[in-house]
Amino acid sequence: MIHNFLSSWSLFHNAYLSGWLIAVLLSLLGILVIARDQIFIGAAISQASLLGIAAGMWIGSTVTFDLQSWWRSDIFYAGMGGLCAVLAALLTTGGGRRDDEESHEALTGWIFLSSASFSTLILSHSPHGREEAIRLLSSTIIGATRTDVWIFAILTAATAVALVKWYRPALLVVLDPEVAQAAGLRTKRWDTLFAVWLGVAVGFSIRVSGVVYTFAALILPPLIAKHLCREARSLFFLSPAIALLTGMGAFVLAHHYDFPPGQMAAACLSGVFAVTWSLHRLRAVLSRR
Amino acid sequence: MESPEVILRMKELVLGYGQHLVLRRVNLEVRAGERWFVLGPNGSGKTTLLRAVLGLVRPHAGELWLHPELARRERIGFVPQRHDLLSSIPMTVREFVLLGLVGTAVGKREAAPRLAWALETMGLQECARQSYWTLSGGQRQRALVARALIRRPSMLVLDEPTSGLDMATEETLLRLLTATSHSAPCTVLFVTHSLALAMRYATHAALVLEGHVIAGPQQTVLTPNNLVRLARRDTDGLHPLDTFPLLLSLPTESRCDP
Repeated sequence: MIHNFLSSWSLFHNAYLSGWLIAVLLSLLGILVIARDQIFIGAAISQASLLGIAAGMWIGSTVTFDLQSWWRSDIFYAGMGGLCAVLAALLTTGGGRRDDEESHEALTGWIFLSSASFSTLILSHSPHGREEAIRLLSSTIIGATRTDVWIFAILTAATAVALVKWYRPALLVVLDPEVAQAAGLRTKRWDTLFAVWLGVAVGFSIRVSGVVYTFAALILPPLIAKHLCREARSLFFLSPAIALLTGMGAFVLAHHYDFPPGQMAAACLSGVFAVTWSLHRLRAVLSRR
Repeated sequence: MESPEVILRMKELVLGYGQHLVLRRVNLEVRAGERWFVLGPNGSGKTTLLRAVLGLVRPHAGELWLHPELARRERIGFVPQRHDLLSSIPMTVREFVLLGLVGTAVGKREAAPRLAWALETMGLQECARQSYWTLSGGQRQRALVARALIRRPSMLVLDEPTSGLDMATEETLLRLLTATSHSAPCTVLFVTHSLALAMRYATHAALVLEGHVIAGPQQTVLTPNNLVRLARRDTDGLHPLDTFPLLLSLPTESRCDP
């Protein structure tokens, strides 16, 4: 099985590397997402990115018929996806909220539903658009290029370095913003920076790997790691390790059985989550006796 | 004997949010080593006063002066009111207390002895590797104080740290705090509803009433007349067990006033 997988390396290595880098990148950012207890922002940001791509396609086809035009290029579509993802992240993770304002959960639900419906409506009369939307929803990864590998390598390295240096302030801002402010941290700036970074990472990932894989890589590895760790610090090692190892195994299986790799990785991560959650519950029950 | 150095001064200070003024013409002077208890009804502006000291509320007018050592806030420890933080990720007590070093220039080498000292001072050394989320309310409150103490603060600012705790736990926490402020000299600003605690542990008091602050040494501020004013305003905040003996100790005409 592994030999078979390795034989496909020359053809699909950009796709595999992009997929694994996306998994590591998002599993690191996902720790801060689950620390905020706002798991569904991942889904909302992914959908918002899809809406951006759909809007980009609509704008492109309206502005010009030339398929080689910048308006109909991947860069423009990715940029639009990233922009919408950043805006969604800013709305759903924005700092302080007054009691008379909508909750973050309400905004997350609204963004998810409006993005999902509008992206479908925008693309419903465009044959190429519908094809692209289905590709993004079905998480194929296969189309990744060398440029994608470099983009995700840079994003992952920058995220890892930033977290090594600032994981404590980042956690304090999330867990106890009042104390973080008293310690001299500008919590609104931290929130904005996190939202922009998350939006950029999700926006780029959606374009390459689709909604299911992006959301799974963002949420499931830190949730699995949470079942296995006692310290927050360990999450920052275990979450990317789980994402990477499961991603590798899933891609090998997907290649062998000819399944879509994105869905296979999400299914494997879901399976691992079910096992660790069951063990976690069992341990809790036994420790109470 | 030379009096200790002034570390905090408020002169004709006006505080508020936007157009809404909360406190007017606040005048007080805090010296090193003093234990200030801030008392007042709910919504009177006690927390606003603390937030101003922490630099989280900008004064509308007047002067708020902090000793240069405190100006960068590295030497101010803050204990917030609640301990029901987001339990969304695993965290040991040790890790939780180390979060107190955020915003300081303390390196790894210095962090370890500070952590050991803060945990020992709050009696949490046995729980260092335990999950913070499995601690009792009293232990969590002590962990919050330890997180503030790890900064080796010159000033410790506590916002109702004993709310929701039973009397025995409250007493234990206050005894630990007093012992700590003696052994590692630090000034304490303590917001509370408990007059009994203020009577026993405060060297100075600030009564926040109707937008003004009556501040000074404990004996001159916690007078029967001031306390009656406070008790009349603070119908939902004061501990009933606190006001009862106080009102009994007052002249009969004061007690019968509507």
